[in-house]
This record gives sequence, structure tokens and C-alpha cells, in this order.
Amino acid sequence: MNRFNYVAVNIIETLLRVIPIPCKVGMLTIGRPDRGSPVFLTCNYHLTVRRVKRALKGIDCYLLVANSNGHNVWCGATGGHFTNHDVISVLRTTGIERLVDHRKVILPQLAATGIEAEHIRKRTGWKVIWGPVYAKDIQAFVENTFQKTVKMRGVTFPLASRIEMAIMWAFPFSIIASLITICVWPEVLLPLNGFIWALPFLIFVFFPLYVRRLNPKKKGVGFSRYTVVFDFGRTPLILWGLSMSFLLGFSAITNSFTWPLILRWGFIFLVIILIVSLDLMGSTPIYKSGLHGDRFLKIVLDERKCRAAGFCEQVCPRNCYEVGGSRHIATMPGAEKCVQCGACIVQCPFDALYFIGPDGEILPPATVRRFKLNLLGKRLKAAEKNAGLSL
Amino acid sequence: MKVLESAPDRYDAGIRILTFGRLDKSYDRLASHIKSGHKALDIGCGTGALTLRAAQKGANVKGIDVNLRMLEIAQKRAHEMHVTQNVEFCEMGVAELDAEESENYDIVMSGLCFSELTGYEVIYTLNEIKRILKPGGILLIADEVRPGRLSKRMFNRLIWLPLGIITYILTQTVTHAVENLPEMTEKAGFLIESVRLNRMGNFIELIGTKPGE
Repeated sequence: MNRFNYVAVNIIETLLRVIPIPCKVGMLTIGRPDRGSPVFLTCNYHLTVRRVKRALKGIDCYLLVANSNGHNVWCGATGGHFTNHDVISVLRTTGIERLVDHRKVILPQLAATGIEAEHIRKRTGWKVIWGPVYAKDIQAFVENTFQKTVKMRGVTFPLASRIEMAIMWAFPFSIIASLITICVWPEVLLPLNGFIWALPFLIFVFFPLYVRRLNPKKKGVGFSRYTVVFDFGRTPLILWGLSMSFLLGFSAITNSFTWPLILRWGFIFLVIILIVSLDLMGSTPIYKSGLHGDRFLKIVLDERKCRAAGFCEQVCPRNCYEVGGSRHIATMPGAEKCVQCGACIVQCPFDALYFIGPDGEILPPATVRRFKLNLLGKRLKAAEKNAGLSL
Repeated sequence: MKVLESAPDRYDAGIRILTFGRLDKSYDRLASHIKSGHKALDIGCGTGALTLRAAQKGANVKGIDVNLRMLEIAQKRAHEMHVTQNVEFCEMGVAELDAEESENYDIVMSGLCFSELTGYEVIYTLNEIKRILKPGGILLIADEVRPGRLSKRMFNRLIWLPLGIITYILTQTVTHAVENLPEMTEKAGFLIESVRLNRMGNFIELIGTKPGE
């Protein structure tokens, strides 16, 4: 029964993946924890909590669920929904401080974009340990005396996650398109839905075949900046124009021109173009969204400030860093893999890292910590008008 | 997934529409308890609705909120109303109230904040308020609550759904009407001076005092 429930929750919430689904904030007891048991902390996205609970099976521990308004860890922390305040709040208000003698809390690594370990320590005395990216690695992480391997630190985009993404896009698309189709052209309901499901699957399943040809540095964001989930390239728009002119030409030649025909086929073409123009890079953990101007930012290391503390290496989800070596500082041999998440900048205790923009504008650590990343690229704007702030 | 835009700029307008303007009247009534020279704390001050009212009465007010963008708007408004000398805004959550000294405030107030807190936080916050208020100090709360009567609760649910969706679209926060707020306040050791519910029974104005010695 439990297993059935778990599978059902996974299916339903994968279909609804675009919507944040909150669950209860607070403290959960797993197994029979004692005063020395580890304390884990995660966000309150319902699916995350279910998966983490499952991953923690067999470990006697406490799981704190902090308020992220139902957003997942990475989006929540990067977008300002999962913050220092939320972490401090569960540490303080759930009574965990009376239950354990130590003051170490294990956070998911991807929370490092928004939660400042140093700030948490100063305000609460709790030391943040960055756990693995994926819950499935928690058991190995615990067995490895709470040390992460390189693999546990990196985000991946395997077939299972790609299928999840395909479903995440296909489901809301098919619902909205079905509602419209039922009203205007019920006959095509089934074939259109077949198409809406098949296309994202094809796009995501065959991702490895064309991934080399994706260009995260393509210039300009254009009006895609305002389209929330669509990253319009020029090609799909030209194709749409061509298909519409073909449609008009065809109907003119065969003398079958009627407005309903044009509108119906125009709608079908539009749906296809929209699916093709989905923010593909933003749906992967290995690229920055094509909608963010932030993808042009570059990380710069100030070698004079670096003390090789290694926090950057611990929190980088792309394993860009190597720390130590003969010069005893951090280096970025994997810099080209960077997804501009900013975690390394946020966590560096010496402020040795910062972003530099395409026109040479500098985003210092204070700006990155303070202005979360969001749709309208406020972080970049903030950098521009940074000077006149009073608070 | 990527709809991450937080929306303080729209917050004021959004809330005003959703509360049908009753909020301003509520805040005015609560602010009438504040006197010149009082030391006041506004928990979850947002864009400063209560803070600025108190400041205009001549109180020294500290407004705390977790949303930096809202605080920036509040600060701007304080500037426009020429009350910057007696207000202070601070990015701080309720769980950080332990940084405040004991018995330091004459007034602690909170508008539409408790409904954004989790159950643990509500209890923690009430206890902290009790600690930081001077004996005889006043607690002022205006917030959404769960109606006591079943019929009203059902009706409330019915109209909440569309309103909840609109609130979410406008402000990207969901509120959870607080249950048993007067009881919890009493349990935290306050004396309830008055409770005023609106006709729907879903909005409360609560005035409590910390017992004197």
C-alpha cells in the first residue's frame, strides 16, 4: 500500500511538475534517533520530501522540512523562495536544539545558491554540511563518514530525468491544447494529443544526440525574456511563417480558403512551434536557461583573496573547481561547464569570487547574495543600479 | 519551475484589492492604540503599512521582514512621509527575534504576518513577543483567521479558492488562515483585551496585553 502510494505520488507530481506543491513544514523523525543522530534539512516541495524520506530509510536521524513555498531546492534557493530565514526558522522553532547535542545540519548541496552557511553559523551556531546533490546518494554519503565523492557533487541529466522533463512539459500543454481543441475542432483531439506527447519525448530522449550543437552563448535574449517558458529561436519562427504561407498558398490554389480552416491549422502549427521553442536548456541541470541574460556571466577568481578553503569545490554542481595544487589556491579547469548558479560566489568566506558580465560590469558577492535570480533578470539590473541603495 | 519572480511591487495593490479595502480601516483602528514616544516593533512589516502609521503617531518603530524588496519599498515610503528619523527597517525573520532584548517594547504589532507563518513559528513568535514586551505592553494583530462556525467555514472555503488563486498570481504567496489565534495568544500568557471579527468571521483584530507585575 505504501509503495503504491509512493508510485502514485510520483506519477501525479511528475505530471504537475511545473507547479510548486508545498507540504507541511517542521520536523520528522526517521527511525530511532538519539542525541548524536544526524540532522538533515530539505525544502517543503512535497515530492522532494517524499523522496528524501525514502532515501533516509534505515538511517536513524531527524529530517527538518523548511519552508520554500513548495518550490524544489535548486529553484527555491536560486530564486529566493528558500532562504536563510527559512533555515534559521526550522532550526529554532522545531525544538531540534533540545533533541541533539551536536550543531551540525546537512543541507542539500543545491541549496548553496541561496543559503549562506556562514550566515547560518553566525546567527544560530549550526554548522552547515553540504550533502550530496541527489537524495539517492545520501546512504553512501553517510557510510563515507559524511564526505562527498566527486560524483555526488555533480548534476546529471540521465534518461529518467529527461523523461520527467518531457512529461512535465507535455502534460500542461496537452491539457490547455485539449481544452481549446474540444471547442474549435474536436476531431483532431486525439492526433494532436499524440503529437503533443510524442514531440517532448523525442526532444528529451534524443537529447544526447544533439547536445553538442546547443549553443548556450547564442547572442541576445530578445523578446524570449518575457515569454516565461519559451525560448524562441529564429528558426522555429521562420518555420512557422513558412508553414502559414504554405497553408495560405495551398488553400488559394485549391480554392478551399475558409477562415475556420486557416485558424484551425494555424493553431495546430502554433502548438507545434511552441513545443519546439520550449526553454530546452533551462529544462536541463547542465545548462543555464536560454531566457536568462545571466548565462553570459563569467566567474572570476581573485587569486590574492583565495585561501584554498575549498567551499567552491564543495558546492559547484558542475565540478568546475580544483582546490589545492602547488600554488595552494582554487583553479577552474572546468570553467566552460559553469551554469552561472552562483553557489561558489555565495559561499566563499573570503569573497574571492565574483561575476563579470559581457560588457565588463562586475557583480560582487554582496549583490549575488542579495539579489536572487529570477525571470526578469533583476540581478543584472541590480548590478547596474547598485550604487544608489540605502538599506 | 522558473516562475520565480517574487512580486513586492505588486503586493500592495494586490492585497488592497483582495481585502476590499478593509485592511486600511483595520490598521487605522489598531494604530489608534499607539502613542507618541512609544517604542514599537512591527513584525512582518512588508511595505510598512503599520510601521508608518505608528511612526506618524510619533512612536519609535522598528519594522522587520524577510523580504528585502518589500523593505526597500517601505524605506522609500518612509522617506516620502518624512518619518525616517523614527523608523528603522531590518531584514529579519521571526526566528531571529531572540536577538531582541527582553522587555524592550511598549507595542508589538503584526499585520497579515501570522497567516504566512508555519504552526511552529506562530507559537515561537508569540512566546518571543511576550518576552520582548515591557510588562503592560500591548500586542496588536490584524490577520486572516479560520472562522469558528462550520457554515461560515464552508462559505469561506468556497470564496477562498478563487481569491487564493488571484493572491498567488499577484503576490506569489499563499496565506494559511490562522486557527485559534486568540486561544494561542492566551496560552502564550497574554491577557486578551479585545477581539474584533468581521462579519465573515475570517478576519481578526486582536488586542492583547502582557500582564504587569
